[in-house]
Amino acid sequence: MNILVCIKQVADTEARILLKSDKKSLEIENKYNMNFFDEFAVEEAIRIKSKIKDSQITVCTYGTKKAVEALRTAIAMGADRAFLLDNTGLDSDDPLIISKILANFAKQEGFDLIFCGRQAIDDENANIGAMIAELLGIPHVSAILKFDIIDEKKVRVESEIEGGKETLEVQLPALFTTQKGINEPRVPLITGVMKAMKASITVVDPSTFEGLSKELIDMTASKISVLTYETPKGRPAVKIVDGETPGEKVKSLIKILKEEAKAL
Amino acid sequence: MFKDIFVFIECKEGSIRKVSFELLSKAKEISEKSLSTVYAVIIGNDIVAAANQLKEFADKVIVVNNEKLKNYRWDIFTHVMEQLIKKYKPYAVFGASTITGKDIFPRLAAKFNGAIVSDAVGAVFDGESIKIKKPLFGGKIISWIVCKDDSTFFVTFRPNSFPVEKRSLNGELIDETVDVVGDPRISLISTDKSGSKKVDLQEADFIICGGRGMKGPENFQMLEEIAGVMEGRVGASRAVVDSKWRDYNDQIGKSGKTVSPKLYIGCGVSGALHHTMGMDTAKVIVAINKDPNALIFQYADYGIVDDIFTILPVLKEELIKIKQEV
Ligand SMILES: Cc1cc2nc3c(=O)[nH]c(=O)nc-3n(C[C@H](O)[C@H](O)[C@H](O)COP(=O)(O)OP(=O)(O)OC[C@H]3O[C@@H](n4cnc5c(N)ncnc54)[C@H](O)[C@@H]3O)c2cc1C
Repeated sequence: MNILVCIKQVADTEARILLKSDKKSLEIENKYNMNFFDEFAVEEAIRIKSKIKDSQITVCTYGTKKAVEALRTAIAMGADRAFLLDNTGLDSDDPLIISKILANFAKQEGFDLIFCGRQAIDDENANIGAMIAELLGIPHVSAILKFDIIDEKKVRVESEIEGGKETLEVQLPALFTTQKGINEPRVPLITGVMKAMKASITVVDPSTFEGLSKELIDMTASKISVLTYETPKGRPAVKIVDGETPGEKVKSLIKILKEEAKAL
Repeated sequence: MFKDIFVFIECKEGSIRKVSFELLSKAKEISEKSLSTVYAVIIGNDIVAAANQLKEFADKVIVVNNEKLKNYRWDIFTHVMEQLIKKYKPYAVFGASTITGKDIFPRLAAKFNGAIVSDAVGAVFDGESIKIKKPLFGGKIISWIVCKDDSTFFVTFRPNSFPVEKRSLNGELIDETVDVVGDPRISLISTDKSGSKKVDLQEADFIICGGRGMKGPENFQMLEEIAGVMEGRVGASRAVVDSKWRDYNDQIGKSGKTVSPKLYIGCGVSGALHHTMGMDTAKVIVAINKDPNALIFQYADYGIVDDIFTILPVLKEELIKIKQEV
């Protein structure tokens, strides 16, 4: 089984993010991780490989040179090889462009199975997986909670739907986005980390892909543009509700919620 | 200017989801300024009554009523929407940032080589284009985005981002017959809709959320009762979900769901950043925690410093009283 996992390096939730004075760019504190939902994708690929011996796991990301760190994390977990689709000089975060780049990479390499995380925790978009599948013309199931191989050509998955779950059989090649609950991502062992440090990571310029050129994927090609960034309005300081007894506290809370906050 | 807006309507158990009315209200506000037409697009099975309800909110209601659309299937729904967009060529398509919306919109954007903005929380029309407001990094930053309109563009909005405004329009119903075929490479084996009776967490106006301070799964019954009184939903922190006290479906936060209810009450929730990122767009936040220094008080509008187990029974009684008054 030839498996591709697309991952993203994202700012840590705790990272400080500052608005630059032009209000059109951001300064992100240097704290990054592999996207939370992508860990499930890498883990699932590793589990398949442990069942189907001649499998190969490729991880790739479209990002800055720094994003090799996320690729190394995936290798430390157990991925076989990694590609950085280098965004230097391209710099667009338009989901359509990113999907085109990833889909082209996937097409060029040829995979039976592609995994992505359900969504990135920085932009919360949940677009890339579905868009890659659409561009490749392969089936896709979002937010899967269970994955079983039936045979070389078919898998059975369970996915989250509104108010429940559904089970589907899908013919390969296909793409799946992973969600919390599908597995418990492993913490890399020290041997894995050592291996990952030494692993060579192929850096690719996506504008060299067949069918893509710089003009098709740079900022000018972007379908979306950010006009400005703002910081959100903070809330006023909390009002602690007084009272001697629990009953008094609740009663005054209810009064405030009704009269002041109009929330009841 | 004639920049038509499509609103993709979602139904749950035959009734239109509240978020769809929110989107129609916003779309109508924009269309009044841009002199355009709002189309409510409803596809499904047995949806004639629902479609009639939409007439008051939209200028036109496109209905695709077909037995094969009984259950949501990405392949079939995308194909139906694709045909409608090809025919009507709307300027923008609005949808909800729900499981279904997040599934169908990126597929459509890829098909039409169109712009997509997901998980937005606001939109304004400035006389020329629609500016879309979208939080990034769990709400630490707000961005304002415009889309190139060289092709139809697609936007999904978080539920509870806009108020519902009835317009008393009398929209024209348009029955559309289109190809309703699925992808033969995918087949449905079974569905489990055991959770479908509940209000969707993202759509709930009232959420009472339990954290590790709830001590055990059995104590969530009290929260369920309060949620029942308020016709809302029980949420949970990750610590609770990881302890298997509640299902992951209930998890609020960075790695769970993002919610914006009218009222959120956190009970024994510490207020870790990963959690508050999922709920700080709630209109009113109340925290009940025995630790006066708990982080959640930095996010809350109102707080009670006390033991939840003495507060909750009284809270329930008081809320019942309020409901009886109404
Ligand atoms: C990558 C990542 C993603 C994450 N995603 C999420 C997420 O999506 N959602 C989420 O919630 N967390 C998430 N977390 C975890 C988060 O960081 C916190 O660990 C978690 O939110 C803590 O849950 P808690 O507040 O319920 O528990 P605790 O931190 O244990 O807090 C319990 C609180 O209850 C109070 N308390 C205890 N007993 C009582 C009592 N009798 N009466 C009143 N108060 C009482 C205590 O004072 C304390 O403040 C994530 C973490 C990581 C690393």
